Amino acid sequence: MKKKVLAVLLCGCMAAGLIAGCGSKKDEAPKEDTKTADEGSDAEGDKGGENGYHFEVVVKSFQSSYWQAAVKGIEQAEEELGVTADTTGPNNESDIADQVQMLTSAIGKSPDGIALAACDQNSVLEALQTALDKKIPVVCFDSGVPDAPEGSVYATVVTNNGQAGSIAAEKIYESVKDKIAKADKPVRVGEVNQDATSANITERGMGFVNKFIELAEADGKKVAVVGNDYYVGKVEKNNDEKSADIIIEIAVPAQTTVELCATEASNIMNKDDTIAIFGSNQVSAEGVLTANQNLNVLGSDPEKNIIAAGFDAGSTIKAAVADGTLLGAVTQSPLMQGKLSIETLTKICNGEEVEDIETEGYWYDSTNMDDPQISPNLYD
Amino acid sequence: MANKKMKTAGQKSIIDRMGGQKVIVILVVIILFIFFCALSPNFRKYTTFVSILDYSYYISLMAIGVAFPLMTAGVDLSIGTGLVCYSLVGGWLIVFQGWPTWAGILASIVFGMAMGVVNGCLVALMDLPPFLATLCTSMITRGLGSIISGGFGISWPAAAAEGGWFRNIFKIQRNGLNIPIGFLWIILIVIIMSFVLNHTKIGRYTLAIGSNKEATKLSGVNVKFYHILAYVISGFFAGLAAISYSAIFATVQPGSGAGFELEAIGGAIIGGVSMSGGFGSISGTLAGVFVICLLKTGLPFIGLTANWQQIITGLVLIAAVLVDILKRKSEN
Amino acid sequence: MGEVILTMKEIDKSFPGVHALDHVNLEVRKGEVLALMGENGAGKSTLMKVLTGIYTKDSGTITYEGKEVEFSNTREAQEAGIVIVHQELNMLGHLTVAQNIFIGREFKKGIRIDDKKMNEEAQKLFDRMNIDINPKERMSNLTVGKQQMCEIAKAISHDAKVIIFDEPSAALTETEIQELFKIIRDLREKNLGIVYISHRMDEIKVITDRVTVMRDGTYVGTLITKDSTKDDIINMMVGRVIYEDPKTESMVPKDAPVVLKVDKLNAGKMVQDVSFELRKGEILGFSGLMGAGRTETARALFGADPIDSGDIYINGKKVTINNPQDAVKNGIGYLSEDRKRFGIVVQKSVAENTTMATLEEYMSGIFIDKKKEKEVAQKYVESLATKTPDVDQLVVNLSGGNQQKVVIAKWLTRDCDILIFDEPTRGIDVGAKSEIYKLMNQLAADGKAIIMISSEMTEILRMSDRIIVMCEGKKTGELDISEATQENIMNLATREIE
Repeated sequence: MKKKVLAVLLCGCMAAGLIAGCGSKKDEAPKEDTKTADEGSDAEGDKGGENGYHFEVVVKSFQSSYWQAAVKGIEQAEEELGVTADTTGPNNESDIADQVQMLTSAIGKSPDGIALAACDQNSVLEALQTALDKKIPVVCFDSGVPDAPEGSVYATVVTNNGQAGSIAAEKIYESVKDKIAKADKPVRVGEVNQDATSANITERGMGFVNKFIELAEADGKKVAVVGNDYYVGKVEKNNDEKSADIIIEIAVPAQTTVELCATEASNIMNKDDTIAIFGSNQVSAEGVLTANQNLNVLGSDPEKNIIAAGFDAGSTIKAAVADGTLLGAVTQSPLMQGKLSIETLTKICNGEEVEDIETEGYWYDSTNMDDPQISPNLYD
Repeated sequence: MANKKMKTAGQKSIIDRMGGQKVIVILVVIILFIFFCALSPNFRKYTTFVSILDYSYYISLMAIGVAFPLMTAGVDLSIGTGLVCYSLVGGWLIVFQGWPTWAGILASIVFGMAMGVVNGCLVALMDLPPFLATLCTSMITRGLGSIISGGFGISWPAAAAEGGWFRNIFKIQRNGLNIPIGFLWIILIVIIMSFVLNHTKIGRYTLAIGSNKEATKLSGVNVKFYHILAYVISGFFAGLAAISYSAIFATVQPGSGAGFELEAIGGAIIGGVSMSGGFGSISGTLAGVFVICLLKTGLPFIGLTANWQQIITGLVLIAAVLVDILKRKSEN
Repeated sequence: MGEVILTMKEIDKSFPGVHALDHVNLEVRKGEVLALMGENGAGKSTLMKVLTGIYTKDSGTITYEGKEVEFSNTREAQEAGIVIVHQELNMLGHLTVAQNIFIGREFKKGIRIDDKKMNEEAQKLFDRMNIDINPKERMSNLTVGKQQMCEIAKAISHDAKVIIFDEPSAALTETEIQELFKIIRDLREKNLGIVYISHRMDEIKVITDRVTVMRDGTYVGTLITKDSTKDDIINMMVGRVIYEDPKTESMVPKDAPVVLKVDKLNAGKMVQDVSFELRKGEILGFSGLMGAGRTETARALFGADPIDSGDIYINGKKVTINNPQDAVKNGIGYLSEDRKRFGIVVQKSVAENTTMATLEEYMSGIFIDKKKEKEVAQKYVESLATKTPDVDQLVVNLSGGNQQKVVIAKWLTRDCDILIFDEPTRGIDVGAKSEIYKLMNQLAADGKAIIMISSEMTEILRMSDRIIVMCEGKKTGELDISEATQENIMNLATREIE
């Protein structure tokens, strides 16, 4: 009897798993498809189809709210330009094979253009060749595809990560400038980077470091960069830690978990000479905040507190920015990128010249979080 | 068992090792602790101790749970991604469906146990190798978590927010001081589960299945039930671990969690749970977890960079597994 | 009688807390079979391990072919020509016979293993031994007996001068044993020195020339086999008189109630239409060759393997048995032929094993009442005279006979009315054997019904009230003890075989 009950239970579970698993993969994407398509055709109907181009968009992860912001941008562009676009994407950024398949079927629909945020730079190459053969123009956004077949990718729309990192450096420097000027012994500025391998993170991290050095040297201070070998090695003119006025310490955790980011952050935040810290993506910024739960040293007063800045959004970071635990954070603009991609595709179809676009990172703090320019990018 | 007079040579060594390993592990914990304290002034701070405890809860809970499948000579690899999945389920119900916090907590735990039933059935009824069965369910939970959460991170209510009371289960503030009361719960759970292991049918049969499943079955024991139960216990504790994880950390990211299980399994094995089944200790498991947690926190504090941290943690795990293998050799 | 090839003199070996060998002597001569006898734990295996370099001796000398030697591992001993054929077969089931025989010293052709040559060499070996085994066959497809032959072939292929057989007949059927004896005689002809370790008194008489007896780690003495009686040897081994009364007629009253009735039981290929009745107080012997389906019948009856069809009645009532739990509930206890795999949990204590089938009775609330558990275990240790320091002792440390007693205790705590003993004395030494027999007779006298599966003809004839003979999954006959002889049992056991 027990055996039967268990067997039934198991089958139930498995069936449920299957339905849930397959269901979402096969149903959900097309469902969203039709939704956007409907809206698109509505728009088309309303505006009578100014030029009536139809584009296919493949994003990295259809479900995350970051990408939903991009979809919002795409929708804005659809309305403004009177074009239509279907958006798809895999469940996870790591589902590389799924994305390639989606890209291939998007090409199969022979649209007027394709906007692509590739999960993996190499796996999409073959599909891009097909697109080139079929003379479908491709615009890459969020991440570039450096080795794409000549002529297949017309333009790339990406965040300027170096610039995004440097904004954080500017804002932090501004806040601790007086303290540095007054300091009679070296001060320490921390930076927690999730890894030392991905291009986005390293560019951001170095953007912060280089800008900080530039600003400090302009004020006649000597800066030494210590910590993770990869980042230290990329600093052009490093000074000796002993003679420096400002020490920038760069920590990278052994694995990309919040907990290890937090451990690295607390290690820096525990030091007496630390005056500021920067977490260069959502995970590491949350690590800084997790460490602060026990240390309680962050705040907005440079004299008493350690000044901290984050990156991206999420409810925890937003709450910390709102209540002043974080000085502020830098957000990328997926909305802008989505919109610009469609605009670029439209230009290509209209035979106009296009070039690569770098979108900026935006600084947000408690004062401008609700700006219409900023708030759509701040996901929960 | 260990205090009895032993007459033959082979037996003495086994008992010695069982009691011995636990003692060694506790010694290692103490030595590591003193070592890090001596080398890093910042490590000596009260706040660091609180942090270490904070980050240890979820691994401890997972390790206590996974000790049971391990003792049946199985393994449960689904607890890592499972933890994230159950946490996302609970968080989603609370944040997006407006469920009260207690109901979300309950849902996480029930979901964990349900996954335990699935694992148990695959292993005990369908005879899938535990490694394979739970590897598959670990993929399933990973995917399910992403689907349920819609692919983005979920934050359970913050401490100050409405429904944030559960964060105080693990840490309370008195006079501006964080008190890690979660550790008391862990100790209590260790006591309870030690009792379950040593003084109840569940524990007795779990160990018997690990030692000799066939003989246990032929004694008329409902082996399938107790075999499944071991995985349900593992799932239950993965659910509890999900709560502690959600309480300590701000956001739970879908797609993460792979690798957590290895820390828990590593802790259990360092603590003397035999990978070949039949032996184990819950208190030893806790001590084993602390070896891993101390390394994880201590190594960055003494200024070792990421690569070195990984090398040293790997070496410690090899040492622990070697002890298990040597133990098995001496038994044969 | 040939010249002495190997002498072990005054061998002494201690382990922490145990004086395993106390100045033991052994002499092996060319062209003779020396029996090494002694109860389990007497030190026979330890002595052989010292000889082949697995253990280092504390003192004493080993002289081999006129030179003093000390091997540091089995490989060295093998190269010198001393080889053990183990009781537990060390065969790799996936590999072929030839691959097994030449493992570790494969013939090579360049970097490639020369399987063809290995097959040829193996075939030559078998031809020399006069046995029919295909070298290309997978090891796992062979019967236990054939596997044993391969093990012997492997030993011979090492150019052995001394071969030690460690309880070779434990897993063999009568015919296979005869075949083994033929090979051993053959080896003796070829002037090899042979050490034969066994518990089976009949075999000793048949095959060996001299008997060396050990007891409790000491050397007791050596006898010429043909000049000594069974009792002489047994007395040397155990120092006491053994219970040895063969049964001539059934002890069961004609009107004893039928406790168990099995009607046309089918389970897989090995159990076809098996029907029989079992009466209260009866010992029902199941005889037959290896693979006759006796164990399979028992396992099906006990719910350990699925039943395809057939009815089982207990005390006249039809019962359904789907798994061992059902069987236990219906008062059936099963003592497996393979204790270590199916009978006991070796790494657990005597007490834990004793209460394995009845744990419900030792619960207070949800907790196990360990005190009560130990009391009960202690009670059975005393009543069965199990030799163990205490009930916390791990079963792995007990001798085979005492392990068997723990399994019996397990089923007695359950108060089972039907007990299935599957090869109850396999691997058990003579002294313990007679205790087990006494115990079984006692149980039957107390009204338990017993099914005893045994491959030892003498055991069947000594213990059973009635005998069922099986062959290739079918019941081929049923004999009352008064009419049973070795011959007519063998006849029935081979009926289906052409």
